[in-house]
Amino acid sequence: MASEPHPSAPSATRARRPRTGDDGRRLGTAGHALAVAVLALVIGSLLSAPGLHKSAYNQQPGWQRDVALAVTGPLAGLSSALLLDRPRALVKAAIGRSGDDEIDTAVVIPPAGKPAVTKPAGQPVTKPGPKPGAKPPATPAKVAFTPQKKLRLWVAGDSLVITPGYSIVRAAVASPVIQSVGGVDGRVATGLERPDVFNWFRRIAEQVKELRPDVVVLHFGGNDDHSYMTGLPKGVTVDGFGTASWRKEYGRRVGGVMDTIARGGGHTIWLGLPITRSPAQTQRFDLINAVVLQEAKKRPATATYVDTYTSFAGDNGGYAEYLEDRRGRRVKVRAGDGVHFERAGGEMIARMVLKRLNEMFDLTSWRKKAASS
Amino acid sequence: MLFPTATFAIFFLIVLPLSWLAMPKVHRWRPLIVVASYVFYSWWDWRFIFLLAGCTIWNQLLAVRIHRATVPSQRQALLWVALAGNLSVLGYFKYYDFFVSSSDSLLSLVGVGVPLELQSIVLPVGISFYTFMAISYVVDTYRGDFVPTTFEKFAVYLSFFPHLVAGPIVRPGELIPQLDTPRSPRRVDTSRAFYLIATGLFKKVVIANYLAANIVDDVFGAPGQHSSFEILIAVYAYAVQIYADFSGYTDIAIGIALLLGFSFPQNFDSPYAARSIQDFWRRWHMTLSRWLRDYVYIPLGGSRKGTLLTYRNLLLTMLIGGLWHGAGWTFVVWGAIHGSGLAAERWWRGRPGHVAPPDTRARRALERFVTFQVVCFAWIFFRADSFGIAWDTITGLVTGWGEPSPLVTSGVLLAIVVGIGSQYLPARLPGLLMERFARLPVLGQAAVLAFALMLTNAMGPEGVAPFIYFQF
Repeated sequence: MASEPHPSAPSATRARRPRTGDDGRRLGTAGHALAVAVLALVIGSLLSAPGLHKSAYNQQPGWQRDVALAVTGPLAGLSSALLLDRPRALVKAAIGRSGDDEIDTAVVIPPAGKPAVTKPAGQPVTKPGPKPGAKPPATPAKVAFTPQKKLRLWVAGDSLVITPGYSIVRAAVASPVIQSVGGVDGRVATGLERPDVFNWFRRIAEQVKELRPDVVVLHFGGNDDHSYMTGLPKGVTVDGFGTASWRKEYGRRVGGVMDTIARGGGHTIWLGLPITRSPAQTQRFDLINAVVLQEAKKRPATATYVDTYTSFAGDNGGYAEYLEDRRGRRVKVRAGDGVHFERAGGEMIARMVLKRLNEMFDLTSWRKKAASS
Repeated sequence: MLFPTATFAIFFLIVLPLSWLAMPKVHRWRPLIVVASYVFYSWWDWRFIFLLAGCTIWNQLLAVRIHRATVPSQRQALLWVALAGNLSVLGYFKYYDFFVSSSDSLLSLVGVGVPLELQSIVLPVGISFYTFMAISYVVDTYRGDFVPTTFEKFAVYLSFFPHLVAGPIVRPGELIPQLDTPRSPRRVDTSRAFYLIATGLFKKVVIANYLAANIVDDVFGAPGQHSSFEILIAVYAYAVQIYADFSGYTDIAIGIALLLGFSFPQNFDSPYAARSIQDFWRRWHMTLSRWLRDYVYIPLGGSRKGTLLTYRNLLLTMLIGGLWHGAGWTFVVWGAIHGSGLAAERWWRGRPGHVAPPDTRARRALERFVTFQVVCFAWIFFRADSFGIAWDTITGLVTGWGEPSPLVTSGVLLAIVVGIGSQYLPARLPGLLMERFARLPVLGQAAVLAFALMLTNAMGPEGVAPFIYFQF
């Protein structure tokens, strides 16, 4: 069977056969296929040049990015000169995404200086404020939430936030006093280094204004362990990942995000980066965690850092893909890539976040009041 | 290397002319395409090319020995060795941790643990597809349906990059004979190839990715926080998403193979227009369903051993089909729903006194509607990460009516309507479009294709999401 030609296999001989298929449709030649493919890609590239240029710009630094920029830059110019970028602009406008092709590197954060200390505004507290002249209480009264006045919680970040984010949201749904707003805003391959890829500074400012969250759970840094940053202030340069200049600029961005949320009346819970399978990556993540922790410590009233590193380390202190759950069963907590979380890992983080929420806010006194009344 | 990326476009623009240049001397073409396919495969993880090479050597050696063996018992023993090798590799990479954790959970109920360690095993992309193709090869050889080919041709058959990572699952008799003689460079079905590539890209990049990002991922991530209407629409959206994602991939794969001069079997035929579960499996992932029929259902006895055993065989086949998709009990339940559906239909049609009702338009519509609802219900288990999520989704379908549904937007509804509506388009429409396209000059064809690429690129979300079936 194998040695016989397939019934439909055309012969390579020069004998001319009608160049039509079984259904009478005209067939092409290999040269025709190649010519159409090449021309389509050239014309298609001109029609999509603004998007291609943005994609090239968004790549990590390196020779591929340099080559891509060298090609797409002039291509975008030619496309614009020939008005070939117009159809794409029209399509983008029609689907309400006109700004997609803009390269936005603006780091819009409150000016550096004294960290914002705004407390969540407009919330009832469990105890009345101290009388004038009275001795201030040792610990400030916790802001209370009730089923009528729920704690509004928003989750955002890079791809690392997606799985734990949904666990947190599910936990919120189960609580009568926590309301998830805005779902889980997890964006793959984004971070605070590259606003050109996705401008989180703008996004967080907009969402804080629109959703008015009392708590924002953030998870960033998984894509920020690189030297290259866009959106640097004029005159500022960054020497390389982990250097003093890098830490200063990254800290400015982290602190700026925390301040943006605080000014909108929200509290930031920043999830630290976990230990990963790669020791080198873990080392880089440690450095990012240190910067975030430092910024959170500067803002004790409005930002909390939640460490995930130690919780996800194995018995020997190293990376562990499986850990014991609350019932003592070994469950897969980390994804196969050695970085992301599995659902069971997400549930662990959700429990940590809920614990912190209970420490920071009064989420239970309404039960006593309801029971006594 | 994903199809809808610039990297693949560059790779293909290099491979396409080289392939046709080498084609007249097919003995030169074969090593070239094997190298190209291994480069394509190594883009994910270069280490797994050794697994692919090992799979090729193992199956070729055993297929040749099976063919040469004359004693039936020896042939059978060699077949079992070949199958054991293939299933061990698949079992280790895909099911080891699932087996250990499931056994551990079960045995911990009686206070006993499994003395096996869980391991961090990375699943090689496409392993389920090429392992099944390799099994086809040795089983067809054993049955005498196919004479083993040369090592070179078998290496091309197994690794040919258009089908390598997510099918279609091509049978030896469909592809290997095409490798015997050079493909004619004057008879390339370019219009069909470009039509399939353009529509496949649109389905994947625009429809599937849009629905995933705008409703499906959110709802299946936390079904408890969504209204019943949102959940219902998300279930329909997932049905469209997985169809657009997987059929989009196979359309592109078939189109790419056509440009290289090869034809692959059809993999989808308007599955959501099916009138029964049996009809659905004749239209959905057709190359897998016929594989399961020929290598699982029929060897189990098919419908030849009585009514009850036929039901058992249907159920077992679909359970295996479910487990093939993923190492999880939710996939097993998905298979069980389809297996039970097939058995129930068989019982219904075969019950005493059953007379087929008249085939009216209303009846057809009702059958299609009911089949679609059953298929969508099964998709809940396929998509859910756990039984907890599946249960929340099912209960959420009835407990949250009247609540706000902000995720149900006109864009989401339009994408669903386009996805389902496309299955009811007249069958001759693609042929007409291809015929018109074929009549255009080269520049006209390129312009049409370029516009389609621009539209797909502009309407799709930024970045490229992986194909759903890559994880299988």
